[in-house]
Amino acid sequence: MSLLIVGLSHKTAPIDIREKLYFPETRLPDALENLISQSAISESLIISTCNRTEVLAHSPDINLGIHLVTDFLSDFHGQPKEVIQNFLYDFSHTDAVRHVFRVASSLDSMVLGEPQILGQVKNAFTLANRLGAVGENLSPLMNKAFHVAKRIRSETGISNSAVSISYAAVELSKKIFDTLNGRTVLLLGAGKMSELSAKHLTSQGVSKLLIWNRTYQRAVDLAKTLQGEAIPPEELFRHVERADILICSTGAPGVVLRKTDGQRIIKLRKNRPVFIIDIAMPRDVDPEINKIDNIFLYDIDDLRHVVDANLKHRLKEAQFAEGIINEEVQSYVNQVHSLDITPTIVALKKHWDLIRQEELEKTKKQLGELSTEQEVALENMTQSIIKKLLHGPISEIKSVHQTSSGSKHIEMIKKMLGLKE
Amino acid sequence: MSLLLLRLTIGFYSIGLLHAFLTIITRKKILFRMVLASIVIGFFCHSFAIGLAWSESQHPPISTLQDVLSFFALVIVLAFLLSYARYRLDSLSVFVFPLAFILTLLANLISSPSQPYPEILRSLWLYIHVPTIFLGYSAFFVAFASGLMYLIQENELKRKRPQAFYYRLPSLEVCDELGYRSLSIGFPLLTIGLVAGTFWQLPLKLDPKIVASFITWLTYGILITYRLSANLRGKKAALMAVLGFIFVMVTFFGTRSQGSAHSFIQ
Repeated sequence: MSLLIVGLSHKTAPIDIREKLYFPETRLPDALENLISQSAISESLIISTCNRTEVLAHSPDINLGIHLVTDFLSDFHGQPKEVIQNFLYDFSHTDAVRHVFRVASSLDSMVLGEPQILGQVKNAFTLANRLGAVGENLSPLMNKAFHVAKRIRSETGISNSAVSISYAAVELSKKIFDTLNGRTVLLLGAGKMSELSAKHLTSQGVSKLLIWNRTYQRAVDLAKTLQGEAIPPEELFRHVERADILICSTGAPGVVLRKTDGQRIIKLRKNRPVFIIDIAMPRDVDPEINKIDNIFLYDIDDLRHVVDANLKHRLKEAQFAEGIINEEVQSYVNQVHSLDITPTIVALKKHWDLIRQEELEKTKKQLGELSTEQEVALENMTQSIIKKLLHGPISEIKSVHQTSSGSKHIEMIKKMLGLKE
Repeated sequence: MSLLLLRLTIGFYSIGLLHAFLTIITRKKILFRMVLASIVIGFFCHSFAIGLAWSESQHPPISTLQDVLSFFALVIVLAFLLSYARYRLDSLSVFVFPLAFILTLLANLISSPSQPYPEILRSLWLYIHVPTIFLGYSAFFVAFASGLMYLIQENELKRKRPQAFYYRLPSLEVCDELGYRSLSIGFPLLTIGLVAGTFWQLPLKLDPKIVASFITWLTYGILITYRLSANLRGKKAALMAVLGFIFVMVTFFGTRSQGSAHSFIQ
């Protein structure tokens, strides 16, 4: 398996190096053409994102290939080789397969399990495929990598917990309400933060948006842009019980919602749960309110704790994912080896050469003393007979081994030529 | 033949038990579809076993302790399959599969009664009284399991430090709704069963099981009234559903009265 990867990522290089080796999409075709025009590189693929640049190549000579790709990176980006070399890593053979699988499955990502990388790898492959830069070696590898990534996403929980504050809030809402469809959200305070969270929640299916602000005009303005309903300052407690989710971010110096308010809200809501997110500084909501049944209060630190726990959860899931990677790398390597015909050809040649030598010895004994020239002539003649006889079968093996019934044909040829295994 | 089928059922249910254990230990969803398939096959095996037992023994398959345990397991699996069809909660299986297995295993271990079949049970009332009560119980079991899930998930959300359960358990809303639905199915069934039993045995001679049943009925009655009129929901409702099922278990296993209509044939 003559596979190699040269690259760098957020794990080995700081941003100012990564941006120097970044391939913008418009320059990728040039880069790929440049790579495969090298005689020692038969196929190539470039994955370039803000977190990594990886050049994947198929080359009959791994060491030369790695050398060529490194030179290429240096030349193409006009960066001195001595500088970038400190940040580059390389993988070959099985390790390269593992690395590709890990990258596609987001196990090598900055945010473990983030879903974008798979799309980026897919785009890189589509482009290389269109340019004819990938073929019989890299295409199956990449397809396998997509399969592995899909398997890991469905069999482990690596991608299904929120790792950002705003998404953690959505996730928590769904743990309380199951779905956000048809829910009402009340923004307490019409600042930038609450506007952002409101947009986030509306995109998740929240249907009604109430906006309250100490300055009424600001609420009215925001209500217009977000298509919500502005609530006059003095009417807050007439509307607050309509909200399933409360986002508090007022600039008020003290507590806006007291525990007694919470009790009243729950009573008015007939025990339907409320999720309160307090992102105000200082906090708007008395923390004691969380002790009331059916009220769930999260401040910014609580949300951060959830994100931390989710990251830990992802790490745990990543261990399962590594198990899947091992399994899949093994299966891929086995598959490739079964397609590899070099050992067959070597064995064939050896087998026939053995026969040739045996027969040659016998003949020599019968002929008695021979001159050196005669011996050389005999040697040459027998060798060329073998070479000519094997030429047909070997080219046949080479041409059929890529086809679906290739292994069957090869078995047949091996049997006919007296090669037993 | 019916005994063989029952053992086969135990085999299928044991896969469910194993799955529940693995789920708890590894906190992962492993081959759930296959396990579900084996539970469904087990369920059909089980129904067939009970049907055969009926034709073999000439008395309804809800008369002996053995019968009743087996029937209880069957309706619990049925309740699970119905709620799974609606809510797709695989976490429920962790509660249901072990119980179904244990009940069926017990049913298999208890020897068949040697006493003659008592005259008192030769009544059409039996066909109403026993099945409705156990169907009700199985609904209460689902309510119990959803109540437990609710309490665990609520605790995770209140503590604000999510652990494994947070990721695996359904949302509070779903737990609450499933609990409520199960109650509103279970309570009428239990009521019908108890009324049928009362008419059957008039004039009623109180035995411990009757008293315990009444307490159980009252508990669920209060819960469902509160749910309907005072909008009791969430944690308190979940707690009551859990408590209610403990009463059910006490009624079922804890009260044996010799000589009354509720003593099982030995």
